[in-house]
Amino acid sequence: MRKKKHGSVHTGGDGTISRRKFLGVTAGATAALSFGTFIRSGLGAAKINVLTWSNTLNAMDDTLREQAKQYTKEKGVEVSFEFINQSDLPTKTAAAVESGAGPDIITTWSDGAHLFDKALIDVSDVTGSLGKQLKGWTNIAKDIGIVGKVWKTVPWGIIPIIVVYRSDWLEEVGYRKFPDTYDEMLVMAKKLKDKGHPVGFALGRAIGDGNQSHYPMLWAFGGAEVKKDGKTVAINSPETAKAVDYRRKLYQAGETEDILSWDDSSNNRAFLAEALSVTGNAASIYWAEQKNAPHLRKVTNHALWPKGPAGRFGYSTAMGLGIFKFSKFQKEAKAFITWLIQPKQYSAWIGVGEGQIAGLANYYEDDPVWKKDSKLEVVREIPKYVRMPGYPGPPSRPAAEAMVKYVIVNMFARAAKGMSTAETIKIAEQELKEIYGKA
Amino acid sequence: MSIARAERLPARPWAARFVKPEALTGYGLISPAVFLMMVLLAYPFVLAVYISLSDRVLGEPGKFIWLGNFLKLLQDSLFLQTVWNSFVYTLSTVFLKLVLGLLLALLLNQEFPCRNMVRGALLLPWIVPTSLSVLTWLWMFDSLFSVVNYILLGLGLISRKIPWLGDPFWAMVSVIIVNTWRGLPFFAVSILAGLMTIPRELYEAAETDGARAPRQFWHITLPLLQPVIAVVVLFSTIWTFADFQIVYILTHGGPINATQIFATMAYDIALVAGRIGEGSAISLFLFPALLVVIILMLRYLRRE
Repeated sequence: MRKKKHGSVHTGGDGTISRRKFLGVTAGATAALSFGTFIRSGLGAAKINVLTWSNTLNAMDDTLREQAKQYTKEKGVEVSFEFINQSDLPTKTAAAVESGAGPDIITTWSDGAHLFDKALIDVSDVTGSLGKQLKGWTNIAKDIGIVGKVWKTVPWGIIPIIVVYRSDWLEEVGYRKFPDTYDEMLVMAKKLKDKGHPVGFALGRAIGDGNQSHYPMLWAFGGAEVKKDGKTVAINSPETAKAVDYRRKLYQAGETEDILSWDDSSNNRAFLAEALSVTGNAASIYWAEQKNAPHLRKVTNHALWPKGPAGRFGYSTAMGLGIFKFSKFQKEAKAFITWLIQPKQYSAWIGVGEGQIAGLANYYEDDPVWKKDSKLEVVREIPKYVRMPGYPGPPSRPAAEAMVKYVIVNMFARAAKGMSTAETIKIAEQELKEIYGKA
Repeated sequence: MSIARAERLPARPWAARFVKPEALTGYGLISPAVFLMMVLLAYPFVLAVYISLSDRVLGEPGKFIWLGNFLKLLQDSLFLQTVWNSFVYTLSTVFLKLVLGLLLALLLNQEFPCRNMVRGALLLPWIVPTSLSVLTWLWMFDSLFSVVNYILLGLGLISRKIPWLGDPFWAMVSVIIVNTWRGLPFFAVSILAGLMTIPRELYEAAETDGARAPRQFWHITLPLLQPVIAVVVLFSTIWTFADFQIVYILTHGGPINATQIFATMAYDIALVAGRIGEGSAISLFLFPALLVVIILMLRYLRRE
């Protein structure tokens, strides 16, 4: 009898397979099979896939679906929308960029076009002709769309973040209108809280509401995380200190202490539970009231962000439509985007949104949607005031990183929890230097 | 005799060699497993290691920078806080799960009515999809509607509501509670299985010698449970260090980064901010240390 060799599969005679040989063969087969999946067939008629976020207002998504069908009927190019959760967009986008496969058109979220511009094609021709037709683009449209000197995404819309307030409670403490400055708001907030109706701006890990309430506050007092060059950290300034002092006072005098734990939906819930008088949010609260709390809708109103010593600011998420370089139907995708942003389609889409989304071309400031409801009229002004994180520098990767690390929100949160102004600014400065130093 | 003859046969054509039934079966049986390991484990892992050694950002190839990411991380104040948080989170939950799991297993090893039903019910936290059960916890800790606060206030145990997820200290307590709740069944059931294998005679002998329960536990139960405990602690430590769902859903790493752990920070940096190289480095940071722990543990088990 032959002794079985250690580490081999005994098959008798020449059929002996060593472990190493076996692994080699299997690994080879694996590699070959994996390679096969990368080869995609490029044959057949044009079909455009659009990856976008699913709106809390289902009617807006339905309109897009309808329009896609209509486009197919008119132009013979099949278009399909894939709607995913907003928070999954970065993951899905990253996967598509890294694997070089996926949708043809991607929804760029805020600074998305700046983050993965290398994967997107130049769409300057589309924005050029649309801009001419639609009275030009707003500043924020240019901020999110132009990377270097080239348009990388076609500005699509903005989700305006505004001040949402209870008009009846404001009247109770003597205000018929929402105050126009931060200082006046502080006085009002104290009166409201004394009456048992605190205000609240998220200081927790609310990637939307938290950042969108606090970047404008910083800017309104004249503070900024970097200088205009987008590189030199400039957070440690007397202006920032004023903003931080203000934030602490607002928390102590007029806010519910829950704000430190808030995520993006907490203020919506608190407002609908009648535990909150003022907050920063999209028009989604107002919209939800229509279904769940009609009695509240009568006493809910909207206002622009207050002014500070340096002016009025806002930060809202703006979206664009970018086309991936790996798309086989770039020409068709450009044609579809152009068609989608034509007044006929676009007005119909934002029309069902009732203020959830505003246009980024100047033309849409006079869209009929803003005449529908006087309580939403302020929303249309928002695009004028909106800036992106990193302001006054351009949107950039470090600016995005500072935002996901909640550097600014946490700076204010530490102050609210009682840390000294100098100390919390110093921590933020240190964090920003680490982030911007990497670039 | 037959084998000897087979060895003398002339070499057959290449194809015929592989068609030998026995060889074919060998390939057939092992290849799915090897294929899956290659595709699902080896490839992503090697890729992750490679990416962590590059300065790659989303959509750009990046260049190889050796340990650059890891060295940079060591100077990143937020990362150092993340390391600290991860250790606090993992060590305290594993300790709690071990102590409570052991107690629970001892209880379940007693005779009592409906024992099997209770044992089955115990597994519920483990069976329910984590993301779903954690959403329930999120509501229980909600700043406005927290049922936990409601009960504690009602019982007069606290005078003002606890900011469960809003305060750095309480947020860490919250995620520890939920992780312990979620992982406890794994400990209890594994230890219970270990308990049931301990021969009764040992206890009877000890009793005859006059040893009481505490001494029996100390000298019989605990030593014999050691291998089981080593395995569950090992697994749980690895899982907890890599945990994502509980923290992501409950606090998203906040407030003020108080619960930021490896996985949540890696997610934010790699996928949201687009620094894939650095994100991979964060998630692989503990890999060398864990590898050593695993090797030591497995060695110890083999010796046992």
